[in-house]
Amino acid sequence: MTAGGLLSPYRVLDLTTERGLLCGQILGDLGADVIQVEPPGGSRARRIGPFVGDEPHPDRSLFWWAFSRNKRSVTLNLESDAGRVMLQRLVEGAHFLIESDTPGRLAARGLGYDDLAAVNPALICVSISPFGQNGPKAGYADSDLAIMAAGGPLLLTGDDDRPPVRLSVPQAYLHASAEAAAAAMIAHNERQRSGRGQHVDVSAQQAVAAATQSGILSTAVGFFDLKRVAGGARYGPFTVRFNYPARDGYVSITHGFGSSFGPFTRRLMEYVYDEGFCDEATRDKDWLGYVEQLLFGQEPIEEFDRVKQVIENCTRTKTKAELFDAAHRRDLLVAPVATMAEVAESPQLMARGYWCDLEHPELGRTVRYPGPFARLSCAPITYRRRPPTVGEHNAEIYAGELGCTPADLAALSTQGVI
Amino acid sequence: MSADRPLADLKVLDLMWAIAGPTVTRSLADYGATVVRVETARRVDVCRTIGPFLTLPPGTEDSALFHNMNLGKYMLTLDLSTADGRAVLLDLVRWADVVAEAFAPGVMQARRLDYDTLRQVKPEIIMLSTCLMGQTGPLASFAGFGNLAAAVVGFTHLCGWPDRAPAGPFGAYTDYIAPRFAVAAILAAVDHLRRTGEGQWIDLSQAEASLQFLAPAVLDYTVNGRVQNRTGNRDPHVAPHGVYPTAGEDRWIALAVQSDEQWGALCTAMQRPDLQADARFATYAGRQQGHEQLDAEIAAWTAARDGDAIEAELQAQGIPASVVQDSADLCRDPQLQHREHFVRVAHPTHGHTTVENSRFRLSRTPARMAETAPTLGRDNQYVLESILGYGEQRISELAVSGALG
Repeated sequence: MTAGGLLSPYRVLDLTTERGLLCGQILGDLGADVIQVEPPGGSRARRIGPFVGDEPHPDRSLFWWAFSRNKRSVTLNLESDAGRVMLQRLVEGAHFLIESDTPGRLAARGLGYDDLAAVNPALICVSISPFGQNGPKAGYADSDLAIMAAGGPLLLTGDDDRPPVRLSVPQAYLHASAEAAAAAMIAHNERQRSGRGQHVDVSAQQAVAAATQSGILSTAVGFFDLKRVAGGARYGPFTVRFNYPARDGYVSITHGFGSSFGPFTRRLMEYVYDEGFCDEATRDKDWLGYVEQLLFGQEPIEEFDRVKQVIENCTRTKTKAELFDAAHRRDLLVAPVATMAEVAESPQLMARGYWCDLEHPELGRTVRYPGPFARLSCAPITYRRRPPTVGEHNAEIYAGELGCTPADLAALSTQGVI
Repeated sequence: MSADRPLADLKVLDLMWAIAGPTVTRSLADYGATVVRVETARRVDVCRTIGPFLTLPPGTEDSALFHNMNLGKYMLTLDLSTADGRAVLLDLVRWADVVAEAFAPGVMQARRLDYDTLRQVKPEIIMLSTCLMGQTGPLASFAGFGNLAAAVVGFTHLCGWPDRAPAGPFGAYTDYIAPRFAVAAILAAVDHLRRTGEGQWIDLSQAEASLQFLAPAVLDYTVNGRVQNRTGNRDPHVAPHGVYPTAGEDRWIALAVQSDEQWGALCTAMQRPDLQADARFATYAGRQQGHEQLDAEIAAWTAARDGDAIEAELQAQGIPASVVQDSADLCRDPQLQHREHFVRVAHPTHGHTTVENSRFRLSRTPARMAETAPTLGRDNQYVLESILGYGEQRISELAVSGALG
């Protein structure tokens, strides 16, 4: 076992706003020493709810907590000369710097990649932005919704008789930030040989395009676009349905055909038959060749609609648990649509000891966090630090590591630098 | 594989299938890793049966999704149920730094190819096992796709309209999330290996990794006891916030008004001084309260207009707005063109196919796309001869024995 995690030799300066926090947290989970550099008063992300007890406060933001564990926090005013000098001193000892400012803004303050590389040529500088650092939309105003629209997944999601709909928990910058962590590690791997840093430029638009499941390529390869349908998708003339009602909520069913999915659908139909909801002829359709039959007219679309109704007639009479149990016994692609309360009680996550409880002494309570994103046999991910309060580590880092005297610190504080 | 590429010294044995797994190794291949993908011709990778397709009805080499997930890899067919096939695989394990597999838990054990077996062959091997629910626990054997993991961890419940059944995110949603975590973990393990000589087994559950993307909702439950529900396109911090119809069939514009200034600018664009002057809508709280009315007012303005024109007009005022793009829009999106997001590569039977570029740029060592998309068994000779160093006789014996099936 290796104490401290895989990336324990490395230091990350995390300048990200609410757009990029997850990237540094991934590197921190892997063991890196991550220092979140916040403006005096705290990151904008700390103003995003929900809040502990619904009381807005920079140290009670659950959005902040969600993406800031395993980090230390310093405050630093990068609008001031003294602040920029202090940042350069931090950059000298850093291996990575992550930022998510509007493209060009850091450069305008003398903190662009070229400026940082002059201080530390081995630095890997990761920039997370809505559309990338350059190009005709690089200066676009952005939001989660706009990026999901611009990258393609939004049009594919929702009910066909209403506008496209997003996930209610914003996702765009999480896709970009996770992509950024992977990108940073690729650049790091190269640096281990060359000794040289570089600039990593992550586009959120391109990152979320992954969630089209390559549907972004449809026009380019001469295929048709899928159309959104609640709990499913429309493939040209017919609609596949993935969500079905249960007695106590909903279940997801991968209702697919062809050589890989077809056998699962055959077993599903055997289940529907055994439960008394369809006849043998319906059970015994050619589920492997079913798409071709629909596309080329051997099977009427109305008959497929009837099949889906038959499945629904069956699922409606069962609880989510009963259907999930059947999925286990019969090797079906059926799973419950869980609420967060159900996720928190998941026997699977419990059995794996997934949840991590962290002490928040400043609030006198323990908080349950989502657990590690992976299990590493020799250097497990550990949650070494709860998310920091604003500037919690100013003294530790400025005095303890950069050698500032108490008088220096007092002066910096008075000048509004930290 | 030229030596200046970022991962030029990384050798990966790819036993992945479906979507999430191959995405991981495609990212490594983009940046110069030597990736040998092993497939059996006896069982078709499900990825090959999912569109978009280049032809209908689709054959096994016609999926653009498959091309997109597997570009840049060497393709070797191997029947692991044969003794010769297994011997070749173990030689590839000796060659590799990283073995990545995406089978249901238990499959690798049943084939005696689990981590404990592989580390006897190569003690410092790094092995990634990625599956839906993780290698252990009562649901470990639950095989399935990312749409089911999305249901199990809460995404599906949180996507859709509050007065309707859940819509759920599109497709195998967690398949797009987990690969980034896997790439970061693999490369951190490679760094550790090179510093310490120690290998690693990485057990990555798609469900667990993806829950990171719902962390605020998790904490709202564990801290506040609140079970979040789907809210359509409403946002707790921004109003108005929605998707509105534009001219054309199924054409939409997404927009978010993030400040009072942006609200004023929107009213100006809509030529609605009355709305701008309306005190009810002067604050965020008021606009949130009157959201339904504002939705109707905005939709009435957008409905007959061209989406691109609205996007340009509102963006010029600093309002985040975007056409809700379909694949034709994405093809001609000037930003994606500037980023060279679409890459046309040769294909042995189709002439050409199109794949996506890397989703990020490295300034000094950019991604390089392979010149052709892979086909089953394409690189058998190269892998056996040039990577494993087998002689002609051994290779023809393997071919005759059926191990390369």
